[in-house]
Amino acid sequence: MAIANSTAARVRELFGERLGSRVQTSVDPRANTLRIQIDKASVREGTEILANEMNARFMVTVGTDRRPLTGGYEVTHVFSVDADQLYVLLVCSLAPGDEQICSITPIVPGASWAERELFDAVGVKSEGHPDPRRLMLADDWPEGVYPLRRDFPYNHRPPPTEGVRPRLLDPPPGASVVPLGPFFPVLEEPAYFRLFVEGETIVGCEYRGFYAHRGIEKLGDSALTYNEIPYVAERICGICGFIHSTCYCQAVENAAEIEVPPRARYIRSLMLELERIHSHLLWLGIAGHILGFDTVLMQTWRMREPVMWLCEEISGNRKTYGMNTIGGVRRDFPEPLSSKLLDTLVGVEKEAVAVRDAIVGDTTLHARTKDVGILTNEWARKMCVVGPSARGSGIPIDARIDHPYAAYNEIPARIAVQQTGDNWARVLVRVEELVESIRLVREVVSAMPGGPICAEIEDEIPPDRIGISVVEAPRGEAIHVVITGGDNRPYRWRVRAPSYANLQAAPAMVTKDSIADVPITVGSLDPCFSCTERFELVDVRSNRIVVYSQEELAKMAHRPARPGGTP
Amino acid sequence: MTAKVIALCVLNVAVALLLSPLYEGIMRKLRATVHSRKGPPVIQPYLDLLKLLGKEDLRTTRGVIYDAAPALALGSVLLLAMFVPMGESPPLGFAGDLIVLVYVALMAPVAMMLAGFASASPYAYVGGSREMMMIFTMEPVLVVALVVGAVKAGTLGVGGIVDWQLTSGPSPSMVVAGAAFLLGLQAQAGKLPFDIAEADQEIMGGPLVEQSGPRLALFRWAMLARQLVFAFLFVEVFIPWPHTGFFPLDLGLAMAKALAVLVLVALVDVVNPRLRIDQGMSYFLRVGLISFVALAFAVVGT
Repeated sequence: MAIANSTAARVRELFGERLGSRVQTSVDPRANTLRIQIDKASVREGTEILANEMNARFMVTVGTDRRPLTGGYEVTHVFSVDADQLYVLLVCSLAPGDEQICSITPIVPGASWAERELFDAVGVKSEGHPDPRRLMLADDWPEGVYPLRRDFPYNHRPPPTEGVRPRLLDPPPGASVVPLGPFFPVLEEPAYFRLFVEGETIVGCEYRGFYAHRGIEKLGDSALTYNEIPYVAERICGICGFIHSTCYCQAVENAAEIEVPPRARYIRSLMLELERIHSHLLWLGIAGHILGFDTVLMQTWRMREPVMWLCEEISGNRKTYGMNTIGGVRRDFPEPLSSKLLDTLVGVEKEAVAVRDAIVGDTTLHARTKDVGILTNEWARKMCVVGPSARGSGIPIDARIDHPYAAYNEIPARIAVQQTGDNWARVLVRVEELVESIRLVREVVSAMPGGPICAEIEDEIPPDRIGISVVEAPRGEAIHVVITGGDNRPYRWRVRAPSYANLQAAPAMVTKDSIADVPITVGSLDPCFSCTERFELVDVRSNRIVVYSQEELAKMAHRPARPGGTP
Repeated sequence: MTAKVIALCVLNVAVALLLSPLYEGIMRKLRATVHSRKGPPVIQPYLDLLKLLGKEDLRTTRGVIYDAAPALALGSVLLLAMFVPMGESPPLGFAGDLIVLVYVALMAPVAMMLAGFASASPYAYVGGSREMMMIFTMEPVLVVALVVGAVKAGTLGVGGIVDWQLTSGPSPSMVVAGAAFLLGLQAQAGKLPFDIAEADQEIMGGPLVEQSGPRLALFRWAMLARQLVFAFLFVEVFIPWPHTGFFPLDLGLAMAKALAVLVLVALVDVVNPRLRIDQGMSYFLRVGLISFVALAFAVVGT
């Protein structure tokens, strides 16, 4: 923390020198967080100081409708000084009636989506943004309706605009368009890559996603309570749900300064690493499948099963464990299980190493992945790419090291870094991480302390505090920001999944390659489309909201798949 | 004489039509075993074809080429079967049948490519153009390998090449030509690493993306029959030994050898990822060089 303190002091000094009195306040609510409040005109200068001089990495933008409290909107850009374990919040409060702010995308290209989403959701326009089109609202969502404003009820359905067309880019002259989507054939998910091609060579690419938003952030600040959100957060992702529930709980714990008991931290680390093991095995199978190598798919998914069974024995579920709660976890790790867990891991490790060696030696795989889908170190930094995709391009960032949480202070992870930035590098990083995660699970189990698994929380969570939390998901760093509210729920809950950052880099990665390389290049980012799709409120196709009661859901779940079959 | 020719024609067509799904079933079973799966029953390909044949005929577009392509594909493969020896000289064989064989063998992939171009889908269009590039690079391998036999045997008849092989025994040039033909067989059968034109994960089946029901059944059947006919052509021309002269036994031997060849094809398929079209083409340019080496051997007489 001493490093963070001295860095914070340096940031403060730099801001004082350059901006002088335009810095309104600068406080550190916690040792690892520095909050700098500046006026609207200095946002760009502040960003320049952070990005260029402090080498800070842009993480997420949080737009908050504070009209009921202060009369205006508030925009917070969150940065991370990775080496020094410090978050810097650049906060700008807009005057009542003001709906504009200076865009920071010209300085930090990776902020592009964050600022477009800021306009879509809160209605604060970023002046000078190079591509101010709508990002995640449906094409027929009416203009001027901003779902994350406080006066917008979570169950309101505005009438759709008639006769609108998708806001898509025109291809460069001479190029034709090959659509991959909106039903993305590679992963069978709703995502739309429009490839601009000359022959088989790609000269440009546009990504359009966000077809299946679910309005989770809005639910968090209007319909759910603090203790209900972890279960919804876990459903943000179908693979790495525990990441999101952990991340949310940590954000609230940070904001309310709740001390989590050591055993709970270790159990979180255990589940996070188990999740990474089965997620990486899943990814490896999908990467094989994308290249037509179904033997890899079948074998890795068979290897994955014992890990899922372990998760089921610990939590009761193969996936979506429902174990996290604010202050700790709800289920203890059964000690008698540890020998079985270690035995299973011996088998998984043996097979994982065998698969790693087989992959590393396969020349046809080299032909398909080496020098393909190159993400340069420079571009990866500019686009603020995270996780294995960043580490494959020589950026040694990992939330487990940069902002230690759970038990990673006591049991640090060794991270794998590759320099080449091609698909092959990302394959190597992930297979190394797979083996490393197995080691971490072993260490966590053998060092697990006793004691309670959940903190006693007596006081109410104090309002108007900000909590930031990151978790290294298998795909990269997930960020949750919680601004606490007074009615037993967050005033604002902001989620940024790792794929949100990584997908922004995809268009540049596929350019100059051939169409046949697009699936594996996109696949090499391990994109999780469900993670990025959290927001929309209405099913635009059927134009209705269906709410099932618990009884109806139970009835549906127990209905036999075919007549006469067993439930 | 004519009765025998007709009987053999019927038999060859029957083998190509009725046996090919069984062989595919065995290949699928093998694939499943390597995958650690149980896999569908061996007769699954028959069931798939039956089911597809019973479905509604849906078409994305109209046009003579699009309408006729499936029948053309299957029909050409059945015609091809009559030019290929199966335990006996090819039933429609004549002095220059090698040239006809090469042309007829091309018709099925060309029909598929044209159906792709005609079906008004970008995926089918990309698949069709990939199919075309594969045909350009694959076909010379096939032709040159067969011409090696023609040069050695001094005849343009497939039956004549087989007879020459049987009387003179293995020769270096035929072994090299056979190896080139075998490498090409993987792509002719549309198996990995050369299923580039169909590439499910990239272009969703390529030329066949807009085909369904009976039309898809005919295309599928044509592809299955084609891989079996090519396996027969390979084993009969390049490894015809032993030949007993007793037709049922010879036919049985040829079937067993063809099965062995297709099992090999399936094994290569299951342990390889897909190549990109440029990589596939440069691979076949190299295989083409091998077949030219064989041709050089044949011309100098070894």
